[in-house]
Amino acid sequence: MTLLAAPAFQAPNLAYGRLSPLLIIFGVALVGVVVEAFAPRELRYQIQSLLALAGLVVAFISDVLVASSSPFSSSAGTGAFGGIEAQGAIAVDGPAMFVWGILLVMTLVSVLLVAERRLEGGLTAFAGQASALPGTEAEREASARGIEHTEVFPLVMFAVGGMMLFASANDFLTMFVGLEVFSLPLYLLCGLARRRRLISQEAAMKYFLLGAFSSAIFVYGIAMVYGFAGSFTFADVDNAISSRVGADGLLLLGMGLMGVGLLFKVSAAPFHSWTPDVYQGAPTAITAFMSACTKLAAFAALLRVFYVALGGARWDWQPVVWIVAIITMAVGSVIAITQTDIKRLLAYSTIAHTGFLLTAFAGAYQGTIVLTNQVSSLQAVLFYLVAYGFSSIGAFAVVTMVRDSSGEATHLSRWAGLGKESPVVAGAMALFLLSFAGIPLTSGFTSKWAVFTAAWEGGAWPLVIVAVVMSLVAAFFYIRIIVLMFFSDPVGEGPTVVLPSMLTSAVVTVGAAVTILLGVVPQPVLELARHAGEFVR
Amino acid sequence: MSPTPFLVLSALLFSIGAIGVLVRRNAIVVFMCIELMLNAGNLAFVSFARQVGNLDGQVAAFFVMVVAAAEVVVGLAIIVTIYRTRRSASVDDASLLKY
Amino acid sequence: MSYSYAPLLFFAAIGAAFAVFSVVGAGALAGPKRYNRAKLEAYECGIQPTPQARGGGRIPIKYYLTAMLFIIFDIESVFLYPFAVAFDKMGLFALVEMVLFIITVFVAYAYVWRRGGLEWD
Repeated sequence: MTLLAAPAFQAPNLAYGRLSPLLIIFGVALVGVVVEAFAPRELRYQIQSLLALAGLVVAFISDVLVASSSPFSSSAGTGAFGGIEAQGAIAVDGPAMFVWGILLVMTLVSVLLVAERRLEGGLTAFAGQASALPGTEAEREASARGIEHTEVFPLVMFAVGGMMLFASANDFLTMFVGLEVFSLPLYLLCGLARRRRLISQEAAMKYFLLGAFSSAIFVYGIAMVYGFAGSFTFADVDNAISSRVGADGLLLLGMGLMGVGLLFKVSAAPFHSWTPDVYQGAPTAITAFMSACTKLAAFAALLRVFYVALGGARWDWQPVVWIVAIITMAVGSVIAITQTDIKRLLAYSTIAHTGFLLTAFAGAYQGTIVLTNQVSSLQAVLFYLVAYGFSSIGAFAVVTMVRDSSGEATHLSRWAGLGKESPVVAGAMALFLLSFAGIPLTSGFTSKWAVFTAAWEGGAWPLVIVAVVMSLVAAFFYIRIIVLMFFSDPVGEGPTVVLPSMLTSAVVTVGAAVTILLGVVPQPVLELARHAGEFVR
Repeated sequence: MSPTPFLVLSALLFSIGAIGVLVRRNAIVVFMCIELMLNAGNLAFVSFARQVGNLDGQVAAFFVMVVAAAEVVVGLAIIVTIYRTRRSASVDDASLLKY
Repeated sequence: MSYSYAPLLFFAAIGAAFAVFSVVGAGALAGPKRYNRAKLEAYECGIQPTPQARGGGRIPIKYYLTAMLFIIFDIESVFLYPFAVAFDKMGLFALVEMVLFIITVFVAYAYVWRRGGLEWD
């Protein structure tokens, strides 16, 4: 029984400049907590919202600076640039910096939605006092006195910081910490809706229990892979796989368990069951944030784990991903047809999109290093998530505007005849739905094209055929909503579109603009994604 | 001393936890089962650290413990809130969201 | 040889003196002196013993809050143990990191304190 000898300690060399986007976000989140503790109640909303927006803008600028000054690493031949920082814990490479930038922009747009106050008559859409029981005097009094939880801003900042860490983690331990840092704030945010609090709390509990379950499985998977490779860093795991040193059983078990944890976060079937409940119950601004940002971060992490660390075991995981992709596309597209609630329907739509993304992931097309018009699987997935994220945030922003006396009118029957009530809002929604369906001249078409091409080039052509068929099935229910909005007569008194403040209008405008721009001129963003290159190893 | 018995124990704990999550109906008990799974992971980390002869696994156990504690706090807050609203912490009773 | 144990004895003496002072001396010096019947009861530390907790044997929600706050601050200290074992080998860097860590924990503490999380009623 000898103690393990600790190696001689060396102070780690932290490149603070390169990690600055992460540090800024976490710093702003902490300052937000201090503001929450010491600022007077009347000023908190203004301070918090401005602080969050300023932090996101500054972090984005520093991300751009880091990206533009990053030299190509020694392994320039692989098409990767950037480097591994923080003693191997964080990879600040092209894809990571791309994901950081996009996450920050999409969070900025979501924060505008979170800060919206006019729709609820001067208060945010978050519970005035989460501890007050729904329907009690305490709750009414809190909302009459204008109390609101401005904690949502620091919570969103913590969540986006965790997502950035998750997407750029270069060892499994950092990845797990990042996973929890973004999940825990999201569990809480889901339960904070001002209206329909029972549903919101139920969504939070389901999300929490299933999310904690999946992260426990993820931890056990990490333990197995650690037992196999004796290290947490992705490069060491890759070496261990290529030299075949460890026990194969541990690797397979660990790979499977980690796959479950990651596929849960991207809401792939059969680990998707939380998605509809959580998307429906959560406050809509948070649903928008989750649908765009969680998905982007989780896919970036999924691809990094499976391409960088487990790339050598590709023949073991690829067939499983094929099956998961087919099930996910089928579940998302087919069950969405029967939905009657718009938020639930968009949740199944997001599951279907996960399936389409998984086809490119399964293809694992490396791309060619010579500059051609081909994009690799990674670049196609990143481009798809940019396009999908903005359309999705826009669509959920529209959902917050269609209201009746009890809050958001999410039942589809209430959406009949929306085109007559407000052609602009219904037109924006139609644009987003057409983009989800993948109609040409919208971002949905170009991004689907990129993903399917990468999958085809990677040899996953049967998946592409299934995906195209499923896209047609999915197009059916998107078109059905458009028909409902424009060609049906309103039921009863019909829907009302509440005029929002500048914030939500800006979100819808940005969403629509990106959807059209990426449909008509996708080249700049596609070029940016291609410039991001591959993961550094 | 071979770490195999500890790994077997950890696998058993993990399985007990996973089965508990799937069959138990009380949210607090489900949550305790999840904690059991995390602790099974810790045991595996420490056993493997001994087997491979570096300290990484022990450090991982620290991080998992801290994260588990944070999870307890968030989870208890959510479960207590829902209990106060509904007077029940049964997972089956929370069924407003379906289909 | 025995010289190296002197600091240990010194600390033990300080600790014992502190314990004796806070139990015996401090209360007599600074504490309020009010007596009532409940304080003379056999146990329950001055709280009226009741046959059952209020609300049909359920524990008041306040205890959950205390438990949650305890857990989070308790477990944060886990990082202090590895630091304490090796801080002399790690030098200034580790000290700065640990101070940053503790500031972070104190931010949470300040929030809890300002929001009334530490008040019982």
